[in-house]
Amino acid sequence: MASMWKEFSKGLWAEIPPFRLVLGLCPTLAVTKSAENGFGMGMAVIFVLVLSNVLISAVRKIIPKKVRIVCFIAMAATMVVAVELLMQAFTYPLYQQLGIFVPLIVVNCIILGRAEAFAAKNPIHLAAADGLGIGIGYTLALTFLGGLRELFGAGSLFGHYVMPEGFVPFALMVEAPGAFICLGGLLALMNCLTIVMSRRGGRELPVNAPCGADCCDANK
Amino acid sequence: MTQQEKNLTEIRPRFVVETPPYLHRGYTISGMMRDTFIALLPAAAMAVYYFGIPALRVMCLAAGVCALTEALWQKALGQTVRVYDCTALITGLLFAFLLPAGAPWWLVVVGSVLTIVLGKQVFGGLGCNPLCPALVGWASMTVAWPTYMDPMAMNLTSAFIDPLVRMKFFGWEAMPLSAQSLLLGRQLGGLGSAQIGAVLLGGLYMVARKTVRWEIPTAFLVGVLFFGAIFWQLGEAMGVNPASAPPPHLYLLTGSTLFAAFFLATDHASSPVAFGGMVLYGLLCGLMVVLIRIFGYYPDGAPFAVLVTALVTPMFDLIRSAPYGKGRR
Repeated sequence: MASMWKEFSKGLWAEIPPFRLVLGLCPTLAVTKSAENGFGMGMAVIFVLVLSNVLISAVRKIIPKKVRIVCFIAMAATMVVAVELLMQAFTYPLYQQLGIFVPLIVVNCIILGRAEAFAAKNPIHLAAADGLGIGIGYTLALTFLGGLRELFGAGSLFGHYVMPEGFVPFALMVEAPGAFICLGGLLALMNCLTIVMSRRGGRELPVNAPCGADCCDANK
Repeated sequence: MTQQEKNLTEIRPRFVVETPPYLHRGYTISGMMRDTFIALLPAAAMAVYYFGIPALRVMCLAAGVCALTEALWQKALGQTVRVYDCTALITGLLFAFLLPAGAPWWLVVVGSVLTIVLGKQVFGGLGCNPLCPALVGWASMTVAWPTYMDPMAMNLTSAFIDPLVRMKFFGWEAMPLSAQSLLLGRQLGGLGSAQIGAVLLGGLYMVARKTVRWEIPTAFLVGVLFFGAIFWQLGEAMGVNPASAPPPHLYLLTGSTLFAAFFLATDHASSPVAFGGMVLYGLLCGLMVVLIRIFGYYPDGAPFAVLVTALVTPMFDLIRSAPYGKGRR
């Protein structure tokens, strides 16, 4: 149980995907025009990530090493088609907003990264916890980024106008450059926060995690 | 200001030099900024003459906020505070020159902060900026608040008209202003950049003082005239509506073409250093101005032209002459 919690909680802060692993940036930049879009995208990724992690972990011993990537992608693609059909059925407006980025979850680095780095080496319950943690971290990050951009770019949050009267929306934020500026600013803020926190705690400065962090370290 | 800080602001730009003995020409950063300031004065005076206190307000606000932002940033990041070299002040002034005189105060403040932070400091500060900082601020504001950056909408009480809009939508023959009144700045546009004659005066002063190299403005203007003449004469054969391809001198007399040529394209960090590179850079700027004016969505192509062309500067910097004595045999 403790190990499951450990795998789950690392996705929420220590390895939160867009800010720490810097993976899955294409949807992070493209669909976060509003908090709702970011949240919907995150939910789709949670669904795909948890199921594909569980599936891959379940069959990890029977997949030949040489063809594993193809198998991983085939399994992730199956999940993505499922989530796409579900979204068309139940949340059609959101599906129209996200557009091409739903099918593109297949090639999202996070899915393949977690499959290769974690699910292919760990038992099912750990893989599920890892997928859920990373997925929720991704959703939080996307919702936060989308909320920030929506707040300043359109003056609203989840579609409700919240800014005071006389506020002129800063349209740059909902354009493409705003996504890069926002993400860059948040990355800088995260690094700054980490440095300050580790200095205060008397710990060493953390080294930036390579793709998928220490769980895929070759020496382990 | 302590003695040490004073020494830093008077520091001479130091280059890594080879063995031959060189003479220092005595340029300092603050000296160059002083020259730029003097060059900007005539246009600033004309802007105040035509637009009154609002123009003065925009210029002071932009310059002040830029300097303040730079000082706060350097303080917050623990860098040496070098705001006394006046580069931020001049950058703010250049940014203000591109704004309409009636721009609201919050636009000027946000734009000035973005100018310094996004345009300059995130890349490492003075001399590290890949683009002209004032243009970064201007472009952000143009994308974010296009209506508040429109000179027509922001100067409703003014009797002047915006010749660029007339030329864009009604054809250049429908533009009623004479060359003389255009030269005197009797037109709407950026508050300082539309003072064509005064900007030209200041630009020539800068070139004469060698604050900027003469190659870039010359190549820029030659490029505008050359490509403008091509589209004017041969545009119809190429399928361009002749009403949207004005005679070449109108490119120079309207909008911020001259201002961009003398003050923006010559930004020291974002323009090429060698002769060949500078000439190609200027010509490409000129071509971009003409293309954006004729085919583009924005009426004034000059700031975007410089912004886009500055991205190619690293390529132009590859063109350099062989060192003396190391040439072909």
